[in-house]
Amino acid sequence: MKRALFLISVLVFATLILAGSITVIGPWSGEEEESFKPVLQAFEEKTGISVNYRINRAEDLAPVLPAQFAARRAPGDVIFMWADFIPANPEHAVELSGVVDTELYEPATLRSVMVGDELYGTAYTAKPKPGFWYRKSFFEEHGLSEPETWDEFVALLDEIKGIPGIRRPIASGNGVGWPLSDITEHFLITFGGPELQNDLIEGNISWESHIVRRPMEKLAGLLEVGYFSEPTEWTTILEQWWKGDYALYFMGFWIIGMVDDPDDLGVFTLPGARGVVSSVDYAFVPKYADNVEGAKKFVEFISSVEGQSVQVAQGGHFATVAGVPEDAYPLADREVARSIEGLEPVRDLDDTIGGAWQPAFWDQLKLLWVRPGRLDSVLEELEARMP
Amino acid sequence: MLRKAKPYHFGIFILPALALMAVFVMYPTLRTVFLSFVAEDGSLTLSNYAEVLRSRDIFNPGGYEGDFPFGALIHNALWIAIHLPITTFLGLFLAVFLRNVKGGGIVKSFIFLGMVMPMIVGGIMIRFMFDGSVGVVNMALGFFGFPTQTWTAYPETALFSLIFGSVWLWAGFSMILYSAGLETIPNMYYEAARIDGASRIKMFLKITVPLLKPITVVVVTMTLLWELKIFDIVYVATMGGPGGTSNVLALQMYLYAFREWDPGKAAVVAVLITLFTLLAAIPLIRSAGDEAE
Repeated sequence: MKRALFLISVLVFATLILAGSITVIGPWSGEEEESFKPVLQAFEEKTGISVNYRINRAEDLAPVLPAQFAARRAPGDVIFMWADFIPANPEHAVELSGVVDTELYEPATLRSVMVGDELYGTAYTAKPKPGFWYRKSFFEEHGLSEPETWDEFVALLDEIKGIPGIRRPIASGNGVGWPLSDITEHFLITFGGPELQNDLIEGNISWESHIVRRPMEKLAGLLEVGYFSEPTEWTTILEQWWKGDYALYFMGFWIIGMVDDPDDLGVFTLPGARGVVSSVDYAFVPKYADNVEGAKKFVEFISSVEGQSVQVAQGGHFATVAGVPEDAYPLADREVARSIEGLEPVRDLDDTIGGAWQPAFWDQLKLLWVRPGRLDSVLEELEARMP
Repeated sequence: MLRKAKPYHFGIFILPALALMAVFVMYPTLRTVFLSFVAEDGSLTLSNYAEVLRSRDIFNPGGYEGDFPFGALIHNALWIAIHLPITTFLGLFLAVFLRNVKGGGIVKSFIFLGMVMPMIVGGIMIRFMFDGSVGVVNMALGFFGFPTQTWTAYPETALFSLIFGSVWLWAGFSMILYSAGLETIPNMYYEAARIDGASRIKMFLKITVPLLKPITVVVVTMTLLWELKIFDIVYVATMGGPGGTSNVLALQMYLYAFREWDPGKAAVVAVLITLFTLLAAIPLIRSAGDEAE
């Protein structure tokens, strides 16, 4: 009898333990992971549900998830994934209407994870990609200042090029290719306006049209002169830029959490820019999650003022929900936020189009970066591969 | 007392293996062939083949004004044309050279490390080897005063960087096979030739090379198969870029399957790779048959 009671209590205990844990899959590793951990800890403390965090980029999940879903399995309880993947797979996702407080969001933010009136994902924090970052100490040392016009921008690049020890004025980050796409999108938005970016996303304009060609020619012109470095792995070149091998680095807001002294960071957009890309991280709960209820609680937490306040406090993130107090942000973030005040947030071009076009876009840009003379063929390929 | 095996005994023993083969080899193969003929609407068609073979990703003989990309099929052919002779001859040379050298075994072990390493790691190492700022290739070139650059980043050099970079990953394979083959050649052949006054080169050409022919068939066939299905190195080092200039068939199959979500076109590439693989494997099968006879 005693043995039976013992076994039952072990089983009950084990069930409770299992019910009280979730697996969250996200793309962040290294310092980005470190900045995500306080959010997980805050959630654990609040709910008593323990979180097992696993790193997996969306590019790696994309080939795996359909097969897993077909077998009615899921690698995790909450998965951070491309926005376009979620509404394309509503039959495999848990509906989150009622879990996420949609009143806190700008309607446009959640639209990309909705099917009709039903919500299948949530928007976590946003990371604007404001422009060219520089070290204030470097600019002071060499008497440089932020440009106000395109001519001043080109003059600044010329001046930087002449500084001894500088390899190239602008560092070009590479990975699978996204850092190059961020720069390209900034040129498109600056010289074509946020509406050009939106038109390209919607497929309302051809890549070979003169409206697209103009900003692309501006970019290709700078590449031709040699103002940009070769595409180099983005964290490697981040260190080289910080060390002073390059003066400018185009990167997203998350760079604040990746440098030794965020107070030494300055940033400027291309003169005339009316918008900046703001990429939002989206998450969903697969139907086949082991702990759907725990996963829903996690989604509710990261979609709340409380959860997002913990994340923005780490630096490099903007809340997507209303009500996060300004003093929740570190000082450096607030300063950067001021520099892009009044600019229209624009959707990320390649993340929104997604699919096979995204890697093709990255790949063609890698080609453009080293062979700017091939602009025509690059634009032709991009148009031909549009979904 | 031993009993004579009945015919059904044979069936009982072979059944588990046959069942496994049927489920894990034959069914997926036949299903892939079938998929390659299925259109998006479910009807049977040849359009997948037409689309794939017409695609510039697969076959683009003119290239871009005579420059890369030439399409995955031609890139694979280039890989075979360059990588196959280099690894075969290098393996033979290393096996012969290191045979009687003191410490040759240790050197061989180091060379063989390339084979032991997962190819995905090999691909990352190739990326760094040819990197502009930290690469060992550029360090060597810079030492001799040559200009340096990230070789995998340029359309003219990306594919060649991968091909030459992969030589060290595969040369250990041919070297080990040739080393084993050399041990099977009786010493008396060399002694007799030496008495007849044959030079070292003549002994190599008239004794070593002909007697290593079965090994050469295995090395060439296995290397060909490896080159046809090359994927991991390209995936991590360049992802087929820039601008598709280092794309290969297996990577294109992956892109069709998991980026375009087009199983029909992916199956066509899989069928093509299988056909090429079969063509390459025929000499090996024949050679094995000859030896059995």
